[in-house]
Amino acid sequence: MRVELEIWRQDGPSEPGRFETHLIDDATPEMSLLELLDRLNDQLAEQGIEPIQFESDCREGICGACGVTVNDRPHGPVPKTPSCRQHLRAFGQVTTLRIEPLRSAGFPVIRDLVVDRSALDRLIQAGGHIDVLTGTAPDADAMLVGHEDAEAALDFAACIGCGACVAACPNGAAHLFAGAKLAHLGLLPHGEQERGRRSKAVVDQLDTEFGPCSSYGECVEVCPAGIPLTAVAAVHKERLRGLFRGRAD
Amino acid sequence: MTVLRAEEQRQTHRRPRPSSFVLKLAMAITGVIFVAFVFVHMIGNLKVYQGAEAFNSYAQWLREVGYPLIPHTGVLWTLRVVLVTSLLVHLIAAVMLWLRGRAARGPHRRRRMMTGLTAFGARTMLLGGVIILVFVIIHLLDLTIGAALAPETYRHADADGTMHAYQNLVASFSRVPMAVFYALSMVVLALHVFHGWRTVLQDVGATGRRLRLVWVTIGAVLAIAILIGNALIPVLVLAGML
Repeated sequence: MRVELEIWRQDGPSEPGRFETHLIDDATPEMSLLELLDRLNDQLAEQGIEPIQFESDCREGICGACGVTVNDRPHGPVPKTPSCRQHLRAFGQVTTLRIEPLRSAGFPVIRDLVVDRSALDRLIQAGGHIDVLTGTAPDADAMLVGHEDAEAALDFAACIGCGACVAACPNGAAHLFAGAKLAHLGLLPHGEQERGRRSKAVVDQLDTEFGPCSSYGECVEVCPAGIPLTAVAAVHKERLRGLFRGRAD
Repeated sequence: MTVLRAEEQRQTHRRPRPSSFVLKLAMAITGVIFVAFVFVHMIGNLKVYQGAEAFNSYAQWLREVGYPLIPHTGVLWTLRVVLVTSLLVHLIAAVMLWLRGRAARGPHRRRRMMTGLTAFGARTMLLGGVIILVFVIIHLLDLTIGAALAPETYRHADADGTMHAYQNLVASFSRVPMAVFYALSMVVLALHVFHGWRTVLQDVGATGRRLRLVWVTIGAVLAIAILIGNALIPVLVLAGML
């Protein structure tokens, strides 16, 4: 099948970008978006043109490295699926793809389709971690975690940190990402000990580098980990809890 | 190099004050005050279906409620002060959050957003808010203050406190453009209430599944009640039934 690509080219962080059009004549329905980009780059290399830069790693939807905007949808037209798991066969009759980087002021473009998502790292640095010294591993049953809590924490922990939620958000908010982290850590015994401190740090960092949430729900549509909108509520829940308790835990 | 970049970023970004967390909570609280007011206002409006006397005496009662413990129009003025304060807070917070959202989204805005009523409601909150503000101003001029846009036959309250609210309302809604504007404004208001009410869940951090479902359902019921209870009035006036 023949695919027409309108693809973003940007030489550096402070260079103006532009769209380039390329044709791929030998695309197959089994190709994923990234394989399509690989094919394009082979083609460009044959012609002696600089290949398109894009990020990828595991290509099985668990690492969160990949992520491009396809026809205005972060990750691509298939909902809740990372770019590497989006295959041409799922796009129906669409054979013209407009591919750009994940777009948000918090994600400056480094080159072509590669963006700097370290704003998410700074959010994790601020509070998305557990600081307590856990010592040696306790006996398996010494510290019990309820089944419901364990399941919920695991569901929120499914976030792969790809940043599609931020790119999808008309406000450039990272509440889905931050909320998933807060809900996940707050439900577990070790993380519970610094819920108050963590929520303040995370909310402050959200304010510093990201926009406010207006419940558009666009983030949920693109999240490859299926994090629900409830995660967004967890941000304010944890912060309010911290305020009322006025303690670190 | 990465570390340096991170350090640069930290220096260029300042935490805005008041925090978006505070602004969102302020909008949630004032929003709930508005919804409560609009709902009670709609309940009061239902008196119009009982006829002129019921409606006018209700308007008069609003000015005397609580007397002698509370002075005449005391309750009314308390409400007005609370509502104007809430309006200012709601408005300023909305504009600040909107500006922050725009800045955080950056210059490349994607199109093709989600479809459906919920997404549409979310996207039109600011526009809807502006329309509601215009509506409130027109509504006050038209039927409370009786100036500028009021019907020609507008009558202020008599010296003994007798109100002519019903006659004023019918005179105002007999003008087709005004009646249409009122009815359409109620559609905008209902959508604003529906999405605003839903957003309160996120702002106060309600994560329980049942609570969220119940809350959204209450919001939908409130929005529909406000829409039908109010928008029917101009429609019925135009149909000659009031």
